[in-house]
This record gives sequence, C-alpha cells and structure tokens, in this order.
Amino acid sequence: MTLMERMRVLSEGTKYDSCNQSAVCHAFGPDGRCIQLYKTLMTNACSGECTYCPNRCGRDSVRASLTPEEIVKITWSFYRRNAIEGLFLSSGVIGDAERTAEKQLEVASLLRKQGFTGYVHIRVMPGTPKYLLEEIADTANKFGVNAETTSSMNYSEICPNFDYKNDVLQRLQWTRDLINKKRREEGFRGRIIGANDTQFVVGALQEPDREIIGTVERFMDKYELRRPYFMSFDPVPSTPLENNEASPLWRETRLYQTSYLLKDYGLTARDLDGVLDDNGFLLDVDPKMLLASCSPDMFPVNINTASREDLLRVPGIGPVGANRILRSRPISSEKELARMGVVLTRARPFIEINGKRQTNLFSFAGVGA
Amino acid sequence: MIVAFRESVEGILLACMELMDDLGCELISAKDREDLQQKMDFSGIENVKALGFRGTKDTTKLVNALFGKQRLRMFQRDPDVEGYISLVLRHRSSRAIELVHFLCSCEGNAELLYSGKSVTGKKYYNYMRDVSRSYHRLCMFARPCSVNGVLTVKVDSPHQIGDMFCRWLARKNPDLPVSVIEGDIAWIGNGGHVGLETYTQVPASLAGSLEFADMHDEVDDLWDMYYDSQFIPKRRNKGHARGLQPKASASMSKMSERDSYKVERGIANCTLDSFASRSEV
Repeated sequence: MTLMERMRVLSEGTKYDSCNQSAVCHAFGPDGRCIQLYKTLMTNACSGECTYCPNRCGRDSVRASLTPEEIVKITWSFYRRNAIEGLFLSSGVIGDAERTAEKQLEVASLLRKQGFTGYVHIRVMPGTPKYLLEEIADTANKFGVNAETTSSMNYSEICPNFDYKNDVLQRLQWTRDLINKKRREEGFRGRIIGANDTQFVVGALQEPDREIIGTVERFMDKYELRRPYFMSFDPVPSTPLENNEASPLWRETRLYQTSYLLKDYGLTARDLDGVLDDNGFLLDVDPKMLLASCSPDMFPVNINTASREDLLRVPGIGPVGANRILRSRPISSEKELARMGVVLTRARPFIEINGKRQTNLFSFAGVGA
Repeated sequence: MIVAFRESVEGILLACMELMDDLGCELISAKDREDLQQKMDFSGIENVKALGFRGTKDTTKLVNALFGKQRLRMFQRDPDVEGYISLVLRHRSSRAIELVHFLCSCEGNAELLYSGKSVTGKKYYNYMRDVSRSYHRLCMFARPCSVNGVLTVKVDSPHQIGDMFCRWLARKNPDLPVSVIEGDIAWIGNGGHVGLETYTQVPASLAGSLEFADMHDEVDDLWDMYYDSQFIPKRRNKGHARGLQPKASASMSKMSERDSYKVERGIANCTLDSFASRSEV
C-alpha cells in the first residue's frame, strides 16, 4: 500500500475521536466538526477483541500501519502549512498496552527532538504501565484512556481483554495525578497541559443515560474529568454487535448538553433526574429547557435581583451572559439583555425585568401565580 | 486647550486622563508626528499639547489609574483593557476621539467596556470582537508556503492585523523566518535567521528576496485526502459547517478554498479515479 492509502485507512480510524484543545481550529468538515490536529492511528492491526470496534482482531478488514518517522514527517508538513495545531495519536493494541505505549512515545519523543512545539495528544491503551504514562506526560500535552462505558460488568462485555477497575479507572487516577504534577511544574507559562478527559461509547449496551450521567459526575469529582466525549454506537459488519441498533445521534447531543450542565452550570446528576424518562433515558428535548418547564414555581426570575445560580437556570442565559448581567445591573430593558448575548426567544417566558414579564395562558386565565 | 494624541494605546489612555481633568478640551488624533504636523498645517493650529508621541509611559499604570486594579473581564477570552483598546484601534471603522470619549464616559467602571449595555459600549465591544475574529480567522485559514525557505503568506484583512498574525506565526515556527505580506508592506518574524531584527517591517518587494534553507513539501494532496477521511457522511450539517468555514475563508488560501468547496458541495464518494480503477478490474 502507498503512503497515501495507509494514511487514509488510519485517519479514517480516528474520525470518531473528538479532541478539542480549545485553541485554533484550522478547518471544518462538511459535518461541521473541526479539524485542528492530525488524527491518526499508528496501526489498525489490533490484538484486542472489543465487540463494537471495526479494528478488532480476527475481523476481515484492510490492515495498515505508519512508522514513527512517517507520522512525524506528515505532522511537520501539515504543521508548517498551518493546517493543524498538532498531533492526536491513537492506535490498535500492538501486542500489549506496554508495547503500544512505547511506540506512541517514540513518535512524541521524535517530534520533540526535532523541535516540534505544537500540541501532542496521545490516547493510551487501557493497561498502560505507570512508568510509560510518566514518560508520556513529559512529552505530550494531553494523554488519557477511554472509559468506553460505565461499569466493570458492561466493560467486560464490550472489551473482554481488559479490566475496567485496573486498566481504566486506575489509569484515569494516574492521569489525574500526573496532570496535576505537570501543571505544578510547568506553571502558567510552560506548555499547555490538557485536562483529564475520556470517551464513552453510547448505545453499544443497554446502559441508561442516568448511569452515564452518574458516571460522568463521579469521574468529574474523583478524576477531575474536564470533558467527557460521547460516541454514538454504530454497528460494524462482522462484529458481535453487528445486529444491534445504531444509537440515535440526538442522544449524543443531549448527553453533551447534560455534561455542560454538570460542568458549567453547577448542577448535579440528581438535579437532572427530572429530564430523564421512567427508564432513565434522556428525551430528545433541550434538558435545560425541560428542567425550567418542569419547575414553574422557580420562575420568573428577576433579572435585577436574582443570584447567579438562579440566572443560570434560565434557558438562553449561559455563564457568560449571567456574569454580564451581574456586573451590569440595573438592567432596564430587553434590548440591553439582547446586547449582552442573552437569547431572548428562549429566556423571555422565564424572566422579569422591573416587574414586567411575558404573559402566559395561565395568568391570562387567572390560574396559578 | 487643544490636545493632540497618538492613535496608540498609550495615546488613548493619556488623552482620557487629560479629558477627565479638563472636560472642555478639544481633541485631535494622529497616527504619528508627521500625520499630526500635516493636520496642524492644514487647519492652521500652532500650539497643541501632544500626548503619546514619545512612547515612554507604562500603559498598565495608566490603565490602573483610570480603571483601578480590578480583574476586568467578563468572559475568559476577553482581553484586558490594554488589549481591548489595542484591538479596537485596529478596526477599520474605529474613531480614536470617539473611543476616548467612550472610555471617559465609563467613569472608571471598566465592566462597561465588556457588558455591551450601552449602544456605544456594544459598538466598541463588537469592534473588538470583529478584529479578534478576523485575527483568529487568519490563524485558522491562512496557509503559508515556503518561498526560498521563508514561510510566506499574503493576507488581505479589512483591519490592521498583519503584525499580530506575523507574531503568532513566528511563535508557532521559531526555527524559521516568516513573512506576512499585507498590501505593499511585509512583516518579518524571526528575522534573526535572515540577518534582520526579530520583528520588523520591510517593503513587500524586498520580502521575496529573503533566503533561508530551502525546503519543498507538497502537502496539498495529502491534506485533501486527510480532510476527506475525517468526514462522517451520516452527520453532514451544511448550515453549521458553513457558519464555521464561511465562504470568506476560501479567499485566504487554495487549501481553504478546496475545504470550503467541500463544505458547500459535500465530498463525493465516487470519483472518476474510482470509476477508472473499477473498469481496470
């Protein structure tokens, strides 16, 4: 296979991986997802038997690999043309996690030796030894392991070669410790040290969203997880899960929205119970709007007196808008709010400015408050 | 009294302090001493109090004197007051005198710069965001090429941001000289590699004659293939992608132009090449 063909096969293997480093995006695909790193697998020949994965061993598919020198050369070429900010390197399991991490480390070290100052994100395999994680932490800006699911039982079902507690959770904890250590060493002026993150495959098993949201909250608390990524399950032919149904894309979107409510809005998993159905699954409705609609007694919120927490519960007001409101009081009109970035069409039914609020059918009929 | 100030961060801040001391003073702004002299000659003014033309004051101290030492940002990506003024001044529609009056009207409350509460406040906040956005667009979509070993790129922005972009590109590639051509001038970054100052400005015609270690890298085909490989057809979202990769980005480079075309038209999964290879089989 030519270099181009191998590159295509291995890059396609990472297209579902998200890697936001919140710096400069350089291109956007027709699906609207940003391309800011050269994302590639080192190889798609994998000794793992993950039941949902197109690269699982034994599956009949085109196998390819790139040498560290080839990956480094391509990364430099794209970087010089300002087409990327750095490299995202994942891989199939080459024998075992240790050998795979050694290979990944070889790429990162080679890049750094050549003076590469761009961003390097290494997605390590479950079970990577601690000494290699430490070496990776010295060269990469970000590194971490994918949790894929919510519990040991689920994990053993989809990734039978690895142990959830030891190979994933233990590594998440080491990653957290190493990130904190590196941040202390580098300070604010050193290289960027990305926060702990992980990815979940949504819908491969029957785990309800309540379980996923609870796991995300636990990870945020315990492993200082900054951002969870969600990947909708899509059945791959010739895998044990080929007959399962694909997870709807909206589920992924709603999970992202709830993760932001946990991360930026100060809500807890318990607060989000109201947006789940009886079986613990999210509905295809904006969870913040649903929460607000389910608690009419909390609204309208007086824009000029409400606390930050109360403002954040209003649909159409985010953390930035809430800060602006708090620092610009008194607010006298909707126009001022609109200039501050509040989405009035969403916020209007839930706010009150100087005693004025949008009327509704209940107040028109004289029912309720 | 007539106060003439330079259209720089320092000049603006000094003019603010002067205006706050003497609300009745008249203001004139100028880009530099020559510009000021021309304006004075044209209007027949002889004596003015010139501010900011020497460039010696500590702007942070001036900001602290005007707005205090509070942390003055509402959004983590908002620049501080100095950055705000610097960005606003680069905007094509920015008027230095109006900006001075606006800063004074804040009466030491810098939060009004960022809140967008007043109409003028919103206008200048938008100017700041416009310039910031244009700069980020350049960082995103400009694709420099190696010309005699110098990373060279032509930019065409309505705002004056060539020097900012040059510094960014030079920081990103510390081992190479970079040249950002904006109209008839070229900003040179990492100029030490070619015997110039680290950051300097030269005529655009001179930039082409700079030489450094030659390097050839044909990455366009590789990039096209990589770009195509990242697309998930089931998730095509034309409206969203258009907003993020607007048509304007296409003019910044050939690579961006092709990316932008694919955003508009999608990526064909069947090409003439695949037809030919199938025929061979």
